[in-house]
Amino acid sequence: MEGMDEITDKKDNTSNPFQLYMPLLPKSECQVGEFLVDENGRKLRLNFAHGTTTLGFKFKGGVIMAVDSRATSGQYIGSQNVKKIIEINPYLLGTMAGGAADCTYWERVLARECRLYELRNRERISVAAASKLLANMVYQYKGYGLSMGVMISGWDKKGPGLYYVDSDGNRMAGNVFSVGSGSINAYGVMDTGYSWDLTDTQARELGRKAIYHATHRDAYSGGIVRVYQITKEGWTKISEEDSKNLHYQYEEEKKKKKPTTTSS
Amino acid sequence: MALECLIGIKFDDFVLIATDMSHIQSIMVQKSDDDKIHKLSSHLVMAVAGEAGDTTQFAEYIAKNIQLYKMRNGYELHPSSAVHFTRHTLSTHLRSREPYFVNLLMGGYNPAINKSELYYMDYLAASVPVNYYAFGYGGMFTLSIMDQDYHSNMTREAGYELLKKCIGEVKRRFIINLPKFRVRIISKEGISDMPTIIAEGEAA
Amino acid sequence: MSLAVMGGADYMRDPRKHHFHPYADNGGTSVAIAGDDFVMIASDTRLTRGFNILSRDQGKVLGLTPKTMMASSGCWADVLTLKKVLNARLTMYSHEHHDVMSTTAVAQLLSTMLYWRRFFPYYVSNILAGIDEEGKGVVYHYDPVGHMEKLAFSATGASVAQIQPLLDNQIGALNMKDATPPTITKELARQLIHDAFVSAAERDINTGDGILIHTITKDGRTDEKVKLRRD
Repeated sequence: MEGMDEITDKKDNTSNPFQLYMPLLPKSECQVGEFLVDENGRKLRLNFAHGTTTLGFKFKGGVIMAVDSRATSGQYIGSQNVKKIIEINPYLLGTMAGGAADCTYWERVLARECRLYELRNRERISVAAASKLLANMVYQYKGYGLSMGVMISGWDKKGPGLYYVDSDGNRMAGNVFSVGSGSINAYGVMDTGYSWDLTDTQARELGRKAIYHATHRDAYSGGIVRVYQITKEGWTKISEEDSKNLHYQYEEEKKKKKPTTTSS
Repeated sequence: MALECLIGIKFDDFVLIATDMSHIQSIMVQKSDDDKIHKLSSHLVMAVAGEAGDTTQFAEYIAKNIQLYKMRNGYELHPSSAVHFTRHTLSTHLRSREPYFVNLLMGGYNPAINKSELYYMDYLAASVPVNYYAFGYGGMFTLSIMDQDYHSNMTREAGYELLKKCIGEVKRRFIINLPKFRVRIISKEGISDMPTIIAEGEAA
Repeated sequence: MSLAVMGGADYMRDPRKHHFHPYADNGGTSVAIAGDDFVMIASDTRLTRGFNILSRDQGKVLGLTPKTMMASSGCWADVLTLKKVLNARLTMYSHEHHDVMSTTAVAQLLSTMLYWRRFFPYYVSNILAGIDEEGKGVVYHYDPVGHMEKLAFSATGASVAQIQPLLDNQIGALNMKDATPPTITKELARQLIHDAFVSAAERDINTGDGILIHTITKDGRTDEKVKLRRD
């Protein structure tokens, strides 16, 4: 029966995650950005999750990952409760910025590949190898309009690992990264407060505060501030706080820091 | 893309390659200890700039193939042959659905004939043996300095000073902030790092 | 002949680029609310194309399994294709496993199927409602390319921007001091869905005519039809 072949001949992604439908159009026509176009040339909004603040940094106590939780499609807030830290397995985390579906789909595929690696090699995959698997997967689709900027972090034989991977094909190791529309704001707080020798409490607070300030300044970021930490035991969820409550908390703290004497 | 800066200078018995260490995405510096110089074999390196993703993918593809050649044949490809292979790969992809957008400098030393070599190669797969060249807008400022001061028989110290002069000019006149340059030397002894150059200079 | 002379031969005219836009927005709004032991999913029955009303009696909720239903709206052509392919998959699954697919599995399958068309998406807004393995009501919300979120209540489609805030306030009790969210009973859920659609039909041309409300419990399904403004 015509049309049923797509179900029966296994040419889809339910059996092989890499087999996506490729339209018979040139690459430039495959660009699915913020909208599709209807028969009259009007833009049809796509309910695409965009706009984000995510950050990750290495320090002496491991890796801190912190994110907001807002998903927007244009001006509309699609969700205030997105889990932008994806738990790949007990010692690997991935963050999510860009197209929500792109990030969740490919990090799910990555989780599968990492599990297969474990079964084949009887040892855990390194953060470097895991991030490279993801980078190579998305590089195959370069130019087709995937949109993702993710950080992959974890703990392996070499200790803490932090990589940035995006859909342009970039992959790099680093100590400090922030991704998303609010990253410029988060960098401001993070860079000025960062040091390798931060204590666990200071590091968690720095991550939380940097994301909070991004939710405050960047309209596309908001909701809940989630903080995770990675140590050699794997990841632990540190906190999940509403940015509204953090706002009043930080406001209070700032008031206390106000200088008592004014300069003349 | 053209904000990156690659500089290569060939001398009689060594080659100097210097690249900036910034990874730039739109208006932001994402990384300040990037390494754009890829080792291809014991006496050959490739400095790459261009489209994100393509740069590492292409450099790794070439590096792995050159290593494979050594495993299969028991000897390393000479720099000129490696350059020929690179040029061929780049030009084949250029005429395909997915071209690589990379500009590169390949610097090497041929121990068999005791000769240093430097090649310019752009994304159109034009390959030219040169004495010195610089890619990127930053590089444009340095070409005249090299035209003026270059001699093929300069010592390592003099060559390093020439690089410093070039990088100082980039700092002085180029609007983009490229504070640090990684420097590698390729000679009879192989590939080794030279001290990172931290740019100094201010526009008059 | 004379036309050709006056206007110039066809091949002499400027080149024209023809675009391929295989999409339309046919409107439609859906709402789903989960309770402890039930889930309610509803859609309006209007189908539009621009300012033309194509149908006043086209429900958008599809029964997938005895425990799972999906509301789908957007480009009606894509809805039909998606429905066909999804139903075929569920049939294949039930033949293979001699069992009905669980709601959580259907939810993941739908996400994967939507992502299959990542580079030529189905222009559809989906909500999946069902009873999970523990007998609880669950709602899943999707974007057109398969991003999935599990929720207690959700609206989607044309009037999402008027209905979702109402539900956030009435069910979620969000951002209100000392407010506790109500317990969701069938009566409350039905009343909220009814009010939500009445309000949406008042202000959105793409929503109206009627509502089809479906209630799923572990014992089965009940359907109800409510009339809306037909102007």
